[in-house]
Parts: sequence; C-alpha cells; structure tokens
Amino acid sequence: MSGRLGASNQVALVGYAHSVVQRHAAAPLGVVTLDTARRAIADAGLRTDQIDGFVTAPLFPTAGAHAVEDGVSTVSATWLADNLGVRPRYAAGFQGIGQMPGAVAMAVNAIAAGAADYVVLHRAMHNPPGRYHGNPMASAGGSLQWTAPQGYFGPLSMIALPYNEYIQRYGASREAMAAVLVEARKNGARLPWSYWHGRPLSAEEYLAEPMISDPICRYDCDIPVDGVATFVLTSARRAADLPHRPVYVSGYATSAPATRRLPLHWPLDDIMSVGQETTRRLWESAGVGPTEVDLPQLYDGFSPFVYFWLETLGLCPPGEAHRFVLDGGIDSDSPKGLPVLSGGGALGNGRMHGVPQMLECYLQLAGRAGDRQRTATIGVACQSSPHFGGAVVYSAEQF
Amino acid sequence: MSTPRPLPVPDEVSRPYWAAAARHTLVVARCSRCASFVLPPGQTCPHCHSVDPRFRFEPVSGTGTVRSWTVVRQAFLPGFGAEVPFVLVDVELTEQSELRMIGRLLDGPAAALRLGDRVTVAFEDVAPGVSIPAFTLGAPV
Ligand SMILES: [Zn+2]
Repeated sequence: MSGRLGASNQVALVGYAHSVVQRHAAAPLGVVTLDTARRAIADAGLRTDQIDGFVTAPLFPTAGAHAVEDGVSTVSATWLADNLGVRPRYAAGFQGIGQMPGAVAMAVNAIAAGAADYVVLHRAMHNPPGRYHGNPMASAGGSLQWTAPQGYFGPLSMIALPYNEYIQRYGASREAMAAVLVEARKNGARLPWSYWHGRPLSAEEYLAEPMISDPICRYDCDIPVDGVATFVLTSARRAADLPHRPVYVSGYATSAPATRRLPLHWPLDDIMSVGQETTRRLWESAGVGPTEVDLPQLYDGFSPFVYFWLETLGLCPPGEAHRFVLDGGIDSDSPKGLPVLSGGGALGNGRMHGVPQMLECYLQLAGRAGDRQRTATIGVACQSSPHFGGAVVYSAEQF
Repeated sequence: MSTPRPLPVPDEVSRPYWAAAARHTLVVARCSRCASFVLPPGQTCPHCHSVDPRFRFEPVSGTGTVRSWTVVRQAFLPGFGAEVPFVLVDVELTEQSELRMIGRLLDGPAAALRLGDRVTVAFEDVAPGVSIPAFTLGAPV
C-alpha cells in the first residue's frame, strides 16, 4: 500500500482574500468573514452561487474563560454559508489541532470525492476583550485536576518546558532565538495586512525583554488578533478555466496521537519522535522529500516550534536548529538561507494560526507575491507542534 | 485574605490519589492487567490498551529526576499572584521510564537546576484535608 495521497495534485487553490490583521476589528468577526469570503470568491473568478462546499476549523484557542459565540468569537462553516445565502452540498469543520492542514485535508477530500466542486475554506481568528489566557477557576476537575492545583496552566508553561529541555540538552542560546524573531518580524513588517507592518524587531529588543515563563518572553508568543483569511479550492481540471495559476495540494499529514500525558505536557522527545512520524507520512503523501522543498513555511505561534519543525522536517540535523538559525540558515534575503518565515509567520503577522504559512505558499507558488516574489516550486505549510498539528505540501506544478 | 488556589475535584477514579496526598503519600495509578504505572489514569491503559484496566493506586518512592523546568513569573490562575515567581519541574519518577509528572519546586525561584537533578516529593497543604504534591531538590530525608 502506497502512502501517496490518491488525490495528490488533483485539487488546487484558485483564489484568496485576507483581512487586515488588527488587535480588535471595528466590525464583528462574522462581518469581516463575509467580506473576505465574497472577495475570495470574486478573486477566484467565481460567483457565490457556484460555491457548494464550506470548510473551516472553528477553534477559539484561548485558555481564558471567554464565551464562544458563532459569528462573534468564531465563525463556523454553516454560519458562513447561511449568511452568504448559500445552501451547500458540503459544510464541515475540522475539530483537531493543526487547523489549517486539517481543514485543507477535508476540502481536498470533499472535492476529490465529488462531494463539492468549489469549496470556500476560511479561518476567522478573534481576540476577545480582557485577558486572553487568564482564567478565574476556583476548582479543577477532570483532566485539569492533575495540573492546575500546582499552577501548571496555559500555553506559556506548556511551551516553556520543552523549549528549556531543548536549551539544556543542546546548549541553545537566547541569541539564536533572537535570529528567529528578527527574521519573522522583518518579513512581517513588509506585509501591508500584518499587525506588525512597518515594525521590525531588533535582536537587542528581543534580548532585553523580560521573561514570563522562562525561557519564554512576550516576543516568543504570537500576539492575539482579529483577522480572517479565505481560500477557494476546486479540482485541478476546473482550476484550468479560472483566472489565476492554480497551486496544487500534493499531500498532507495530521500528527499521530501522542503519548498520553498530563494536559498541555509536551516533552521534547514526544514532539520529536511523533513529529518525525508526522513528517514521514507527509513526504509519503506528497511524493516529495525535504530536499525538493524550496518554500518550507514553518509554524511559529511559539518561537521554539521553528526549531522543532526544522529538525522534524529534516531541514537540519536534530539538535542543530539553534546553530542553523544563528548561522543565517533561515535568512530569506540571503541566497543560501531557507525562506522558512518569508511569509512572516504568526510572530510577524499576529495569531492567525496556520494562515500565514498557507498564504505564503499560495502567493509565491501562484506567482502573486508582487515585490516579494521568489522562485519556488514546492512549499510546505506547517501548523502547531510537529507531534500535535499537521502540514500540507503545495506545488506550482502537477507531478 | 488572598484568593485561594484552584482546588482539585476528586472523581471516581482519582479519589484515592487525593486521599493519599492528604496523608502526604504519593500514589500512582497502576494497570491491573499489565502492571504499568499510568499518569493520568483514563478510560483505558495506554500501555496494554486494556479497556478494563482497573487502576489501583500504589505508593511510589516519590523520587525522580528533573527532565525540564520553567520559572513562572506571571499568574494565569487565581491564588498564584502572591506565589510568582515560582518554579515548575517536569519530573520523571524513579518507578518507570517516562512516567512524568509536573509539580512546583519548593526550593525557591533562585534554585540552580540541571537536567537529571534528583528531586523528592513534598506536599503543600492548601486547604483543610487538601494537599498538593510538589518537589524539593535532593534525596529523601
Ligand atoms: Zn495496562
């Protein structure tokens, strides 16, 4: 049995729209989503009445005690279809982590199965008023009883433990991570839609920032935002009649279930071992390997994920990512650098989850990146942790 | 009076764990089928995949080694505002490879730590009849 995706290169991205990314949008999230959906459909050269599939991943990713309300703090596939006045043949939401790869996989499967011909895939991110992760819980039941009573709570400590494990094991310096932040913010500063547009970060600013949960400081975390992205997908055959050059989905992988652990406990060895299994399946699914990828867009919602993806994707040896980035290995302005954050990532755009990675793959491979246009053929868009997320391989050509 | 920390809510499975903690004894769930320690215990055993693991809580040595740590400097939960900065350690218990739990290190935020440091369980009495497992550096006294 081959691990190659049966529909490899048979489904394509054919259009997109992206809202501005801001701390708090003036319009409700649902309204912003409707606007980007209409613009994306027009961008693809289609009419709304041609859209017969809607896919999203509706997770509202805060540890705080915020209400989840469709159209306000999240936007489901059915909410968008209803409010566009469309009765789709297929509408579904991806429930796991690794939301963009998961949603792309659902859209590809729906189109390949003939469940829908033209799918709108959106991701709507919301920054609620008040503290994003602060939680007033008075008691801890269920799985939280094993962690919250001792003060282990929220994603900062979650990422601090495996990052410190990495630092201690491999001798990684804070200067190395400064290179990651400088690269993400340099590229984000060039994007008109980014929250960080025109605002690069210097290594000195990064190094001067106090810790929140050692070795994690504020700059290691993407900033919560309101923002929406929408993509349109269809079959490669239908894509040939549409205005933009198609970008094909070559393969995808969602991370295998990790070892049972305490809530939010992500030991480094879990990340690396399960992550390597994720990327092995990714290359099998797509029919390419790491040496063929010229646009690897790594997830960076927390900065250490850049190291973990560099190593699990096989772009540098295990334990070497910190030296790799310090030696200019990810400088997208250098001919010998890998452009892993050329799209700014989450650190350079705001908390858009896997959107910046997918958008950069689309823009570059469709030849729509404008002044930032690079020469690239095969892209990878990663999301979340290698052991707890997923990734998609995109291609400018069918193969 | 300061805001209390979140207290654990014992359930059908975890009740013996918290009852033992109140007596300052660390117990860990053990699968009746394959004898593996499991933390946290769930519906199934992650080692032998039994759907009827009949977990029994058994006392463990309370010793282990530090696999990682973080210094928490900003509280996201009530009751910890006065505690910051504090150290959380990721500990591999002596009894079984990769049997890991997370607890506060009670030696203070300036404690010098290295991977592999030995720690021993200690308990914080946070409310009448409620004690939370934590750790201190070194071997048992
Ligand atoms: Zn068992």
